[in-house]
Amino acid sequence: MGDSYAVDVQEVSKSFGAFKALNGVTLRVRQGEIYGLLGPNGAGKTTLIRMICGLLEAHGGTVTVLGQRMPNVAVLRHIGYMTQQAALYPALSVEENVDFFAAINGAESGVKEALELVQLYDRRKSVVSTLSGGLRQRCSLACALVHRPELLLLDEPTVGIDPQLRVQFWEYFRRMAAEGTTLIVSSHVMDEADRCQRLGLIQYGRLLAEGSPADIRAQGGSQNLEEAFLALAAATPRRAES
Amino acid sequence: MSGHRIRAITRRLLQGFRRDRRTLALLFVAPIVILGLLGYLMRGSSSSPSVGIANQDSGPLGAVVAKTLRHSSHITTSDINASDGDPKLRDGSLVAYVVLPSDFSSQAQAGTVAPEVHLEGSQPGEDAPVLQALQQAMTSLASQVAGRNVSFQPQVKYLYGGANYDTLDYFGAAFVGLVVFFLVFVITIVSFLNERSQGTLERLMASPLRRGEIVLGYMLGFTVIALVQAAEVLIFSLAILRIHNQGNVLLIFGMEALMAIAAVNLGIFLSMFARSEFQAVQFIPLVVVPQILLSGIIFPVSTEPSALQYLSNVLPLTYAVNGMRDIMVKDADLTWSSLQLDAAVVAGFCVVLIAAGTATLRRRLA
Repeated sequence: MGDSYAVDVQEVSKSFGAFKALNGVTLRVRQGEIYGLLGPNGAGKTTLIRMICGLLEAHGGTVTVLGQRMPNVAVLRHIGYMTQQAALYPALSVEENVDFFAAINGAESGVKEALELVQLYDRRKSVVSTLSGGLRQRCSLACALVHRPELLLLDEPTVGIDPQLRVQFWEYFRRMAAEGTTLIVSSHVMDEADRCQRLGLIQYGRLLAEGSPADIRAQGGSQNLEEAFLALAAATPRRAES
Repeated sequence: MSGHRIRAITRRLLQGFRRDRRTLALLFVAPIVILGLLGYLMRGSSSSPSVGIANQDSGPLGAVVAKTLRHSSHITTSDINASDGDPKLRDGSLVAYVVLPSDFSSQAQAGTVAPEVHLEGSQPGEDAPVLQALQQAMTSLASQVAGRNVSFQPQVKYLYGGANYDTLDYFGAAFVGLVVFFLVFVITIVSFLNERSQGTLERLMASPLRRGEIVLGYMLGFTVIALVQAAEVLIFSLAILRIHNQGNVLLIFGMEALMAIAAVNLGIFLSMFARSEFQAVQFIPLVVVPQILLSGIIFPVSTEPSALQYLSNVLPLTYAVNGMRDIMVKDADLTWSSLQLDAAVVAGFCVVLIAAGTATLRRRLA
């Protein structure tokens, strides 16, 4: 059954000391889908993403990615991960950064294409430390997708970037999904949610609701996604302490 | 100027320290450790230099000198045959030996004595007490030979080094390696920490890279820089400072390279235990300074209090320094078992640290 889903998360729990970051989360993401992981800061979005790419091990439950139980090093080659902060080498140029991440994934041939996709090819010689936040974010995205991963995990990719760039980013995301890439995008910005095919609402380490934006609206009883989310959140008990 | 605003800054600083227990501990623990170690090293020295006496004098005065030397507080003496002297200097059981010639008594009667003084010579600090003790013995000899002034003209012979061999030569051999070790350590620990704080390590962990590949890649990268630095230091020391060197330059370079690799791996390993560059710098007084004090660079390990000798003997830097000195001062080559041991210990240390670094990398991200 795992084969039909790019990501299959079953009853996953994770604690940091007494703090329950995730509490029995179950969700599935189909291949070629853009899945939005929504929730306020500290809801557990980053923890879930880090578990999907094998950086954290679950205390309970299972994470299956592309048919393999995680953590599994062999699967990592097919995953692209864009971290929350633009994690780049500031002393290297844009091209050198992308080149490095291409090399460790064994995909040196994709550098030019990745740079063109994020429209940084003309700036490829610029040293990252001299770039603005938005350009860094674009470079970071290029590093995450240079090896043409089957699954792209984007942790708040549009935080701190201007609306124009945000529109562009979503344009890239749609194009990649159309080519069969599965994307999981976390965000706490509700107007981005409408651009996803399906949404998972996370709060207090739990999945509150799941479905298409229209489903969420119906469940929350509001045409406004943000109000729907708040209504769903209010109906749920607080985080359980373990 | 506003006292209020100044106080705000002062308070902010002190509040930060209150949270950073580790820095606070370091501020108050490190000086005690370092000064305590230094005091123990300098006051608690366990042994005085071992000096052999070969008394060949047919007359009575040689025995008088030998007896005075035996009672000297500067040195520890033993009676030897002159022919055993050089082998004993070489194996380290003596730092010097004195030969009182068969005509010593008649020399004294004639007013000028010329005993042979053979010094091991690689540690200038140990020569002084020997010559001082001998000088005192000669002074007491003069009082025995009534009515004469006896002039003392020792014939000093060096097994290693020589009369021009000075303190810089002694320290130089060790410092050529130490400079590389220290700087490479600092550069590695800070840049590995950057990898963590700028988030790129997380990215590497989510890539197919294996932990061992990261550690080895780092090691090779910094080793390239370290080797260039090592070459520069070596050329400057030999060509400009003209530090005494008997040995093979390639061997020195090889030993420097080993030390650099050890420093890179120590840096990677310790970076796992620091959360900020600030904390990384704190490893310098805790890790580097005691090693410098205990590795025999300044105080020969053989003169340390015995408790500290055990500690010195497990520090890799001790072997590295010893190896550098053996090569530069004594022209050691790889057939020397002591140099084989030194190189093997430093290399073994590198291997252990590569494994430790790899293991720690896994634990910190799990």
